[in-house]
Amino acid sequence: MQKKVIAFTNLLRKSGIRVSVAEGIDAFNALDELSLDDREIFRDALRTAMVKRGDDIAAYDELFELFWSGFYDNLRQAFDQMEGDLGAMGVDLDQILRQLAEMMKEMDGELDLSELAKALLTQDLSQLENLIRQAAQEAGTGRIENMLQVGFFSRRTAEQMGLEGASQELENLVERMRAMGMGDAQIQQLQELMRKLMETVRRTVRTFTERELQQQNHNYMEKFRREMLTEKSFYHLTEDEIARMREVVARLAQRIKNILSIRKKRLKRGKLDLHQTLRRNMARGGIPFEVVYKTRRKDRPKLVILCDVSSSVANVSRFMLQFMYSLQEAFTKIRCYVFVAELGEVTSVFQEKDISAAIEKALDGGDVINVYTRSNFGYAFHEFWKNHLASIDKKTTVMILGDARNNYNDAKAWCIRDIQNKAKNVVWLNPESPSAWGFGDSVMDRYMPYCDIVEECRNLRQLSKVVDQIIL
Amino acid sequence: MRVNEREEAMFKSVQDVIEQLGDQGYICDKKIATVVFLAQQLGKPVLVEGPAGVGKTELAKVVAKALGRNMIRLQCYEGLDEAKALYEWEYSKQLLYTQILKDKVAETLAGTQTLAEAADRVGAQDSVFFSSRFIVPRPLMQAITSEKPTLLLVDEVDKSDPEFEAFLLEVLSDFQVTIPEIGTIVAKSMPLVFLTSNDAREMSDALKRRCLHLWIDYPSEELEVRILDRKVPNIDKRLAEEVVGLMNRIRALDLKKTPSISETLDWARALLALNAEELEDQIVSDTLNVILKYEGDVEKAQNELAKLIKKRTAEVAAEKPQGAPAAEASAVKKGILH
Ligand SMILES: Nc1ncnc2c1ncn2[C@@H]1O[C@H](COP(=O)(O)OP(=O)(O)OP(=O)(O)O)[C@@H](O)[C@H]1O
Ligand SMILES: [Mg+2]
Repeated sequence: MQKKVIAFTNLLRKSGIRVSVAEGIDAFNALDELSLDDREIFRDALRTAMVKRGDDIAAYDELFELFWSGFYDNLRQAFDQMEGDLGAMGVDLDQILRQLAEMMKEMDGELDLSELAKALLTQDLSQLENLIRQAAQEAGTGRIENMLQVGFFSRRTAEQMGLEGASQELENLVERMRAMGMGDAQIQQLQELMRKLMETVRRTVRTFTERELQQQNHNYMEKFRREMLTEKSFYHLTEDEIARMREVVARLAQRIKNILSIRKKRLKRGKLDLHQTLRRNMARGGIPFEVVYKTRRKDRPKLVILCDVSSSVANVSRFMLQFMYSLQEAFTKIRCYVFVAELGEVTSVFQEKDISAAIEKALDGGDVINVYTRSNFGYAFHEFWKNHLASIDKKTTVMILGDARNNYNDAKAWCIRDIQNKAKNVVWLNPESPSAWGFGDSVMDRYMPYCDIVEECRNLRQLSKVVDQIIL
Repeated sequence: MRVNEREEAMFKSVQDVIEQLGDQGYICDKKIATVVFLAQQLGKPVLVEGPAGVGKTELAKVVAKALGRNMIRLQCYEGLDEAKALYEWEYSKQLLYTQILKDKVAETLAGTQTLAEAADRVGAQDSVFFSSRFIVPRPLMQAITSEKPTLLLVDEVDKSDPEFEAFLLEVLSDFQVTIPEIGTIVAKSMPLVFLTSNDAREMSDALKRRCLHLWIDYPSEELEVRILDRKVPNIDKRLAEEVVGLMNRIRALDLKKTPSISETLDWARALLALNAEELEDQIVSDTLNVILKYEGDVEKAQNELAKLIKKRTAEVAAEKPQGAPAAEASAVKKGILH
């Protein structure tokens, strides 16, 4: 049982449900408290300990069914069918097994049967299930990838569980029976039974392998779906993907916020600051009206975002803005500018309530700039240099997002140099692959010397990596 | 596990949970009961999530009642901080004491030369003014210091700020608080903890890891009929089924606010008050505002109703092709769900 629960936990993990070690242990403890006869209770007990996200529940239920039910039922069915088949041939399974058991008892001691043979002769299906699972694990069935491998892994599993050996044992047993004087008719029935048993075990092993393949496919599809989204280039997104991506970004941002706040918590509530308290309350005759605690403060950075919103990079801008919008509290102040050629400030748009509306508006130039023109980075940076350079100080991180495709205009890289001189650091995110930087009308190479961090940023994975780097 | 030191009410099994909560008027399935039972046995907090009005808060209340525990409730909101949740210094009382003890203070300060020296003297007496005497315990502190085992309900934890969540996490992990001026206070008896969340924001993984998780969804039709039966006495079984059936259709619509169990209850009561015996379309139409709060939602539900009636009418017409107009009228009258 323990092993099986562990295998199930691993299956959950492989399918993208995060289960920590502690939660796995909780699951065991939970099972200790309950009677496990009730499948529903069993399922809910494992779930409450290991699956904590509403979104994962459907996947959990599916996996539970796939893993826990089913195979035993498959076994049961197969053996019921065997019993039916034998009955049709005039063989009474129960009776013949009972007879066999009695005769075996007489030769007690001399008989040394394998686990498998014993399970088959006593029709102990749970034991048989265990043996198959164990053998399948040793055969590496968990690695199965496609239909063509079903035969291969089934054979390996059968080998691992010693099916041939068991078959031999059963044949020998029949011979012993004959030697002990069992009648011909009965011997024939017995032979029929043994043959059927072997056939049924082979078939159920195959069923097991097929189920394993199903589970793997489930994992595969799930993983694929997630990876698709984080790896998918922002350049080609459907409406639907944009909507889903928005959720993923929200979740990533939340994760970062949680990390930030927990870290902040660690700087616990400080001790009483006696000196400050006395000084603060001097005017009230030193009566501690207002109490001051010692606290450690960590300065939050200021953030200035310069965001290219030309249509070629609109999606990248969209998700970067969403990220930053969600993380506003990580900064003392965020100022946000958008540009194509002209530069406009959209900070106030961000103070509006609705995040998606705010972002769409910013991408649209926020009513302050014309977005339907040809990109001119140099012009935009110069505008910034002229009007806003003064707002940059040593606590400011300047984040620029754009492909640096400048339409052969003047790059005015010295503007960035001056910005870098005044800022804490300058980060540039470019959605193009580095191999394209500096070629054609790309002037990325001109700006790079004045940036502290330059990253390729074309999908969610890259984006979240950069955000981690800047904030954490 | 630190429960059961004294004679204490305990649930004996999952079935026992179902029965005892049922006695308190809370109808639940095995799913809920299993988690409640495990929370008791393992002494772990439960994070209850789900849409509004499905009985998250109520669950904590009835568990407290069933176990005869005192329920301490911490209602979360944006801006809730440690001081409001854990303890505060009672400044006015401190002030009062300082005034009353003025002479004593002067005595203490007698002979000091400099301000710094005086301050040191006062500092040495810190502990007098920062002792438990001057602490106002808030819910978390109450739960920790209670002599008898309690049930702590942290309601709508998703409304609190992430900072607060992090703080909560600390309290939940060891059930002790450290007050810098006084020391560490450890819980005398383990409270049973329920946290509820409406999913306004996702709770952190760290918090989730520490809790058992319970997802309460809208109830199955069968369960909801039983809840109605229990909470609205006098309701006719058939009417209850109709109400629940229609409610589930309405829930399937894309609404701004999906009606919940409390709305089902309100609706059933309203219908009883109007002496309705079955859901005729006029009555439904008239009472939709009991279950739907937004104009747009009411409209959507009206449309859905109209569709249902039309379908029903067509069916009746198909049954009796010759008397179409009469059939139409009777179909509409006959209540839309049969
Ligand atoms: N299983 C149940 N049995 C009986 N009554 C129930 C049940 N579930 C909910 N109710 C009733 O529904 C009403 C709403 O429940 P409650 O306030 O606990 O919902 P909630 O999930 O906490 O909602 P919110 O998320 O808005 O806080 C209560 O009046 C309660 O009596
Ligand atoms: Mg509530």
